[in-house]
Amino acid sequence: MLAVLKKDLILLISNKRELIFMLFYIPFLIFTVDSYDPKMLYFTIIVTFAYLTSLSSFYHDIDGKGKYILNSLPITARRIVLYKYASIFFHLVISIVYAGIYLWIINLAGITIVDYFNIEMIFKAIPIVMLIISIIFPAYILFEPRIAQIINMLVFLGFLIGMVNLGALGEKSFIKMIGIFQGNSLTYLAIIMYLLSLLLSMVLYQKKDL
Amino acid sequence: MKYILEVNQLKKEFKDFKLDSISFKLEPGYIMGFIGPNGAGKSTTIKLIMNLLKKDGGEIKVFGKDHIKHEKEIKDRIGFVYDQNYYYEDLTINQMRNIVASFYSKWDDKQFNHYMSQFNLNPKSKIRTLSKGMKMKFSLAIALSHHADLIIMDEPTSGLDPVFRREILDILYDIIQDENKSIFFSTHITTDLEKIADYITFINDGKIVFSQSKDKILESYAIVKGGPELLDDSTRKKFLGLRETKFGFEGLTDDLDLFKRNFGDRVLIERASLEDIMVYSVRG
Repeated sequence: MLAVLKKDLILLISNKRELIFMLFYIPFLIFTVDSYDPKMLYFTIIVTFAYLTSLSSFYHDIDGKGKYILNSLPITARRIVLYKYASIFFHLVISIVYAGIYLWIINLAGITIVDYFNIEMIFKAIPIVMLIISIIFPAYILFEPRIAQIINMLVFLGFLIGMVNLGALGEKSFIKMIGIFQGNSLTYLAIIMYLLSLLLSMVLYQKKDL
Repeated sequence: MKYILEVNQLKKEFKDFKLDSISFKLEPGYIMGFIGPNGAGKSTTIKLIMNLLKKDGGEIKVFGKDHIKHEKEIKDRIGFVYDQNYYYEDLTINQMRNIVASFYSKWDDKQFNHYMSQFNLNPKSKIRTLSKGMKMKFSLAIALSHHADLIIMDEPTSGLDPVFRREILDILYDIIQDENKSIFFSTHITTDLEKIADYITFINDGKIVFSQSKDKILESYAIVKGGPELLDDSTRKKFLGLRETKFGFEGLTDDLDLFKRNFGDRVLIERASLEDIMVYSVRG
């Protein structure tokens, strides 16, 4: 597990495109997302960061050229999938630390006032990331990259539209109406989806020709 | 463990290609060359051995163990070199070494640094900036730095200059001095194999043509040359491959005695090279 995490971290910090994205994504969201609740901005940043970094690492090793190397190393296909699913929590931690430092500096500089740490939003972000990943990861294993990318785009757009809807309409938004953020039902759903998705991905990946 | 690598009745079917129940065996301490034209099934076979492709039937045993049931243990003892660079291009040699080293139980930094200096590779260079030959050297350095007992290589010498090709062959020859280690490598540069291989497995159109010791193969096959007047339909059928011109013919046979008996001094018999065997067998 540590070897896989180490690989993900080295890849993350050495990929210029991802570094540039990480650098400009937070200011982009701050100046474009006009949220009814400042906490939601923090939530959006955490979710998108964790999701995109997890997906990037997954794509590198499951569908990119790196799959030949990783699958030739002493690690089984089951373990690769298991570690990829487990590593979303590692990416969540990285996102929380990175967003925390970045937003703290923004607050300190007096550019705008935003949450740089909010435990309530972190707990809300975790099941959302798990849910998104539960759909996207098997899609990348099951379908050819083009179709998987379309599914990925639809899921990500769905999330962003939900956030925009919540930001614009507040209490009257669709998100509030269906009560996604109320109670524990979302957490239970996320756990079930995550475990089912993990098992499905393990089976699919073991049978997949690389 | 009698064989380091055993492939029995291995099958794999794609839309437009079929690997048709292929079998071969490699003993510890030997180099096996895996030859065949492009698209014959060499890379497919190697990917099946490495479990990058899933077999449709048959059996693959490495170090006497099933290659799927004992995948992790087996891959810990395999060094691999592929025909193109699959390492992450954005990383430096050192970063890639850090990643790969964490996976192997017997990673040897001293050995890796030795190959880095032998191959004149700068650990701070980005993989993207390396030439094809340098990338191949880097792959080889990784493959040789964790005390692997079986080195599997897919076309390691293709596209490399003769000096570096010879350098690779010398290194492989050194490795094989340890009688517990074996090398399995595919190539279409058959002259490389004539220098170092002990066994040759020839695959064509998804079928094994032969898998034998190199010396036996070179003894069994011959090139027969003669004038056009010697050829008739029944003689033509006795060649494995034949090239005819208006001045004469040149053909490959594995039944040398027959030609000696029938034509005596009227034909010229020459030793067949691996390239002759491959070319004539493929073209017919």
